[in-house]
Amino acid sequence: MIDFIQNLISGIAVGCIYALAALGFVLVYKSSRVINFSNGQFIAIGAFAAYALTVWVGLPVLLAALLAMLLTAGLGFLVERVFLRRMVGQPIISVIMVTIGLASVLDGLMYLTPFGSGNFTFPQFLPPGGLELAGINISYPQLMAIGFTMVFLLLFGWFFQRSVLGIAMRAVADDQMASMSLGVSVRRVFGLAWAVAGLTAAAAGIVVGTVSGLNQDGLIAIGLAVFPAVILGGLDSVPGAVVGGIVIGVLQSFSTAYLDGVLGQIGLVGGGSQYAVPFVVLLVMLWFKPHGLFGTEEIERV
Amino acid sequence: MRNPWAQTGNYRTSYEQDTTIFANYREIVSVVLLLVALCLLPLFLERSQVLVLNFILIYAIAVLGLNITTGYAGLISVGQAAFMGVGAYTVALAAPSLPFWLTIPLGGFVAAIAGFIVGIPSLRVKHLYLALATLAFQEIFVWVVGRSPALAQGAAIPVEMRNFLGLEISFRNHNYFWYYIILFVLVLMVIAWRNLLRGKYGRALIAVRDNDRAADAMGMDPGRTKLFAFALGAFYGGVAGGLLAYMQRAVVVEEFTLARSVTLLAMAIVGGLGTVVGSLLGPAFMKFLQIYVERLSEWMKANPFIQSITPAGVDVASALLPLSFGLVIVLFLVFEPRGLYNWWRLLRSYFRTWPFKY
Amino acid sequence: MKRGFVLAMMVALGLALAQGRTVNLLWSGAITGPTSDVGGPYAAGIEDYCKYANEQKLIPNVTLNCIVRDDQYQNPNTQRILEEALDRAKPAIYLGYSTGAMLQLKPLINEVRLPTIPASAHIGLIEPPHNQYMFLPVSSYSEQFVALLEYINRTKKNARVALVVNPSPFGRAVVDVSRRAAARLGQTIVDVREVGGGNLDNTALLRALDAAGVEFILHQNVAGPVANILKDAKRLGLDKKIKQLGAIYTGGSDLIRLAGDAAEGYLWASSYYTLDENAPGINLQKQLAQKYNRSADILNSTNYTAGMLAAAIAVEAMKRAAQRFNGRIDNATVYQALIGMNGPNAFKPGFAVSTKAGIEIDFTRTEQTGAEGLRILEVKGGKFVPVTEPFTSTLFRQVRNP
Repeated sequence: MIDFIQNLISGIAVGCIYALAALGFVLVYKSSRVINFSNGQFIAIGAFAAYALTVWVGLPVLLAALLAMLLTAGLGFLVERVFLRRMVGQPIISVIMVTIGLASVLDGLMYLTPFGSGNFTFPQFLPPGGLELAGINISYPQLMAIGFTMVFLLLFGWFFQRSVLGIAMRAVADDQMASMSLGVSVRRVFGLAWAVAGLTAAAAGIVVGTVSGLNQDGLIAIGLAVFPAVILGGLDSVPGAVVGGIVIGVLQSFSTAYLDGVLGQIGLVGGGSQYAVPFVVLLVMLWFKPHGLFGTEEIERV
Repeated sequence: MRNPWAQTGNYRTSYEQDTTIFANYREIVSVVLLLVALCLLPLFLERSQVLVLNFILIYAIAVLGLNITTGYAGLISVGQAAFMGVGAYTVALAAPSLPFWLTIPLGGFVAAIAGFIVGIPSLRVKHLYLALATLAFQEIFVWVVGRSPALAQGAAIPVEMRNFLGLEISFRNHNYFWYYIILFVLVLMVIAWRNLLRGKYGRALIAVRDNDRAADAMGMDPGRTKLFAFALGAFYGGVAGGLLAYMQRAVVVEEFTLARSVTLLAMAIVGGLGTVVGSLLGPAFMKFLQIYVERLSEWMKANPFIQSITPAGVDVASALLPLSFGLVIVLFLVFEPRGLYNWWRLLRSYFRTWPFKY
Repeated sequence: MKRGFVLAMMVALGLALAQGRTVNLLWSGAITGPTSDVGGPYAAGIEDYCKYANEQKLIPNVTLNCIVRDDQYQNPNTQRILEEALDRAKPAIYLGYSTGAMLQLKPLINEVRLPTIPASAHIGLIEPPHNQYMFLPVSSYSEQFVALLEYINRTKKNARVALVVNPSPFGRAVVDVSRRAAARLGQTIVDVREVGGGNLDNTALLRALDAAGVEFILHQNVAGPVANILKDAKRLGLDKKIKQLGAIYTGGSDLIRLAGDAAEGYLWASSYYTLDENAPGINLQKQLAQKYNRSADILNSTNYTAGMLAAAIAVEAMKRAAQRFNGRIDNATVYQALIGMNGPNAFKPGFAVSTKAGIEIDFTRTEQTGAEGLRILEVKGGKFVPVTEPFTSTLFRQVRNP
């Protein structure tokens, strides 16, 4: 039982990282219907920016993290301005391809710096070890991940329910044309969505940095885990992104704990089911409930 | 009667004329000339240059398939490399017992079945969601291969063919031999592509892409049409994968990853979606871009002057490849969404009326 | 104008003649792209050793031209670079890189009889078919794993072991031979798990292994994932209960930097000397790194040592080929020189440890592994310290083939 709870909690902690990354992704999709394939690159850039600001510039960690998040948000804003804005009204495939091309451009930009290859370690600012409670262990970086996610969720909740800008974003997501005619600046909303996407991706990256070492490939790979999370939660649902992320994290933890042993018996040697399970979930969701747990169902009649 | 050799435009007046493969005699002649040129080309090239051509032609076949799913039916696929992989592994398993002219189509069919299964969600959902279905398939494919002892867990399975009708195939002629085989298959696949897409199915695909509700109202079944597109696109991928297996003499899972799928999609976009010419130009452009950028970055690394003006810690040479790859995609999408095909079209229309301006 | 051009050509030709012939050596590997953290220092090692060889005129009357190219870890690029070189530069020897590409190119390499020294130490490369021209500079991953199992057996009989490997052919290479070796030693391989990069939490893995009674975890991986597992094990208090060990690419300065004090007690199988030791190869490495302005990261990397060793073997083989065959340096003579590198003619550059017989690098026609001696090193006080004498796994030779 203790094992079960421990696996659950560790899964939630990892899932919160996915949830953070998924939040921004969903926001972009919600406002502009763009599927962002460069999310992993934003995660990496956020993490590396924080690393550079603490280790090279010598800023205190928290300040550096905050600055890195703002910088990445700025990058998101810039990217929308330079690339995505030109794609308004273009077919979906073009827009998706632009984000793929963008991913490659951002990769290239990272290669310009020493971060393109090699491993980096974030300076330790949290105490080592973790909280120990009745045999359940959770590390401080993991606690931080959970905390970050909660904070962002609350912020987003407030933002979308109460603030004018948030309501404008929801309006744009609902009906672009109508909100434009009511005087909402769709451009600003798009830009803002990308900025927030950059912000949350950077937050995810920084958390990853405190949990493990920084490596470009590893960070970008985390961006891929976002897709199952958002499909599970529903592409356009903010709480869905969080729930989806957490469920995927827990599923990965459980599949390592309980599924890996079973696989060998059906001829698939080596376990590692945590890499496949999220994508199996993604396929199954597409087959049976494509709009996810919380997504808006689009009903079309002919 | 008009002189068909002097036609300068589209003189089609009936549906039958509109479904012909070639618009006029000049097109036939130019295609034949191109084919002859392609057949003679290896005579002037080194072995390793033919290798590059082989890669381009194989990718062209895969991109043709992608142009059915993505270009015609409008379904974004980031799993074409996995379909290639299905074909390649089928070939690897079948090659010891079957001749290559059977294994390659077999690989195509197995890939088509995989495409059919992956396409099932298209009965319910649209565009974006399907892109993610192919993404999932791509990841699951690599995972399953890595865990199947029967597939060497992703390590190399040798695919060797040393003899064809008494002709010994060795290092000396391997690339040349496969060049002609690949070219032959490519021509077949192009003919099939053109034939298929000028008929009922092709028009159904376009209709579904442009407005699936309207297509539905007109009696086409959008779900089934999309499934068909998926299976067919995967078939092309499978055939390309099978050829790649023979050409590389072994199947390794690293050839069939997400990165390769993305590259194929980029080739299709840069070439121009939904066109034969684009399917050829795209892979060629991307391959040569890679080769020349690689050369440029090597030159930069070796050049003391460039090294002296770049600040410490900045590595321009390594960044060039991913940067150029990404920029090419983005710039094409922004400035020339119709791809290289459009340049080709402009060039052709210029020469059609040459020396007159219009 | 034209005359000037001809004159310049003459001068260039004269210079070339005065310097003797040029012999080509080819390396292609991942300087960028995946695994570039290994490929970068490896390439630097080769480049620097080549410059050094030319400056010292290690091969008399011959200018060495080292072609070092970046294939971005893509097999089609590796194949293109190799075939291009076969057409034009005609390298006397080829230094390879990744497991996948090398396995794929094996038939081609065998057909053109090109002596090849890959960076990957996958056992499949030197196993038939098509293995004749492959030479591993140091013992294969499989041999390292058997040696680790033997080492465990010295401290604890009938141990329960789990293998954690990278999800790739590189990682999986060790599984089969380890099973056979463990069966011989009376050990139990409880589980084999695949763990790759981005393993943010390993609680479930470690707890499952702990519940299965695992006492030792053997890693065949790169430093990143291993460091994360070590950190989690320490946090969960399993670091005392489960001992962790690993093969060549798991250790080195990267692991210590990534895992911090969680790395303490980690055991590492390596054939190379560490940077703290006074060995001729290591001294040369330090000297060259300083001379060619290499960063501390590169100097401290085992992969820099590995690249230098590979280049050193290649250069030595060319030198011996020239001596034995009247200055003829081509694939055939270099191959002969390589397989003659044994007994009194073994090569001793001082990058890797020697076996008991005092032999560092030796090859024969059938024994295609260079340095067969290896040591187990342990992290003590943030440094890898050897805890065994150099030894050669005897069991490996018995269980290599099923």
